[in-house]
Amino acid sequence: MTTPPLGDYEDVVGSDIIEELMIIASHVGNRSIKMVSSTPVGGGVAEMLHRIVPFLNYMGIQAKWEVIKGDDKFFEITKSFHNALQGQKEDFGEDAFTTYLEYNEMNSRELDFDEDLIVIHDPQPVALIHWNQNRKNRWVWRCHIDMSHPNPQVWGFLKPYVEKYDAAIFSSALFSAELSIPQYRFYPAIDPLDDKNRELDTSYVNSVLANYGIPKDKPIVTQISRYDPWKDPVGVIRAWRMARKNVDCRLLLVGDKAADDPEADKILEEVRAEAGNDPNIHILTFSPSIATEINAFQRASDIVLQKSLREGFGLTVSEALWKRRAVVGGAVGGIPAQIIDGYTGLLVHSVEGASLGIRSLLSQPSFAKALGENGHQRVKDEFLITKNLKRYLLLLLALDKPSAHTIFLS
Amino acid sequence: MGDVFQFRSSASLEKLTGQKAYNLEELLELIKACSESSIFFHTFSAFLKMREARVPYNTDFAFWVARMLNEKALAEKLMAVDLCEHKTVEGLRSQLIEIIESYRGQKPGAFQKTADEPFYLHDITRTVYLTDRFAYDLRSFRELLTEVSIYSIYFHFIESRLYKDFDSDEFSVWIESSLNMPALAKKIQKIDISVHTLEGLRIRLIQLIDEHLKELEQRA
Repeated sequence: MTTPPLGDYEDVVGSDIIEELMIIASHVGNRSIKMVSSTPVGGGVAEMLHRIVPFLNYMGIQAKWEVIKGDDKFFEITKSFHNALQGQKEDFGEDAFTTYLEYNEMNSRELDFDEDLIVIHDPQPVALIHWNQNRKNRWVWRCHIDMSHPNPQVWGFLKPYVEKYDAAIFSSALFSAELSIPQYRFYPAIDPLDDKNRELDTSYVNSVLANYGIPKDKPIVTQISRYDPWKDPVGVIRAWRMARKNVDCRLLLVGDKAADDPEADKILEEVRAEAGNDPNIHILTFSPSIATEINAFQRASDIVLQKSLREGFGLTVSEALWKRRAVVGGAVGGIPAQIIDGYTGLLVHSVEGASLGIRSLLSQPSFAKALGENGHQRVKDEFLITKNLKRYLLLLLALDKPSAHTIFLS
Repeated sequence: MGDVFQFRSSASLEKLTGQKAYNLEELLELIKACSESSIFFHTFSAFLKMREARVPYNTDFAFWVARMLNEKALAEKLMAVDLCEHKTVEGLRSQLIEIIESYRGQKPGAFQKTADEPFYLHDITRTVYLTDRFAYDLRSFRELLTEVSIYSIYFHFIESRLYKDFDSDEFSVWIESSLNMPALAKKIQKIDISVHTLEGLRIRLIQLIDEHLKELEQRA
């Protein structure tokens, strides 16, 4: 993955925004920051760090990223911890906690933590702090998962380690946990210049549609999501079918599907059964998804749905809003942070609501356009990678003065 | 020549407090007890974000009361609060408390309602910084208005009142005191921010200055 130079973002977010980032960075000076995560590739955290770390360096901050080591045994345990912290019921034996600590201790011996700020990402390396108790620098835990209903056994084990940190960062108030340390909110962010979001030529968008046999003869309503019951793909077909009584349109369902995922196979079967042989419904599966084609599908759509019944942050909403699409989203998880109902999209709570949303937007193109424009602005203000860069810079400054409400830089 | 105007700007780091309210009584308690910076976040910062997305609410309090408790009348009363009239956050806090408490007398049933989605109290750390843009006169000021960020415009037009104890925005104060142009300053003070986005405010400022410059040219 190559990272575009920060200057390239001037055209997207404005030179004034980049200029102010550089001003704040100049006050941060040559302080150092180390990110620690559990995987170098795959997943949103790695994707984000691949961008953020070079940008911080470009701005004069000495930024490093280290990945902890572990074998299958460790990562199976941390995967179960991850699920449990997101609410999954599971009982763990003492040996799971012992193994978790052994690997954290091993990693604490192999890594150095000399930087001014250490940012530990997610639960896998959270106990590293235990072996660095005499530290003089600041340690922050960046939690990317939904911790609103954590499994008490796992959280009871990890919480004492988390509370040794100087601060924690969560993606939203909805996902935060009760802690005795200061907590910051960093919304997740999209990169406007990556393949999933960058501008595309109309000819390319049309060629992608043609490649997949999707005629551009009527409006396209699209949901791009894993084939997962919580994304409600069956509900999407029902909502679209109800709307079709009033407005003619196509439905495009695009989703990732791992080759060895029996649950996704089952859902896909249900989706195909619900769709029947309707030539206006196009069901595509990717393994893995191709970012530029996803981008093209979003840009080709008149409406993008994210009719989730349960959601993490749901950044696909920001991806679509960034492309100025009108979005209909389920009012769950992080979606209401992105969609202000009636202004930056429509929030719905049912199949019927989604159907009304589709009808309303296809019948009122100017309303749909206004929602897309407002949504684009909201993403520009809150959900772009440049905003996250700014948050890291501000955090470096704020940790020096934890009790200050206003910091005046001269 | 008067004082040089150096543009500043500000940025926020949002904090979570873990505190929340499910009803008006709890909201009132939060507003009474929270830090000034929390009030700032849910009013001045919220206003900036909602303006840009063209959402017609000016505070998170009004938004939550309207959307989660469906108390539209109270939301309207809260929205009628002119943030620009307040030089201190404490003054704003008092007005918010007064509005909600007097609503209890008008509609006690509203206080019995419980929202499905709570109001999450946030806090904020503001960082205020200087930019390297200086205006020496009205012309250079006008040119720089096209280049500075909306955050800088927001800072000088709204937020700086809180730090400087000004009765009006910092632009008009400088134009009146340093450039000795009270008529233009008065026009700028009269801009109704509640009907503009920040980009719209930028355009309106430039428009007023251009008109003024034209008048000056004609007089010369």
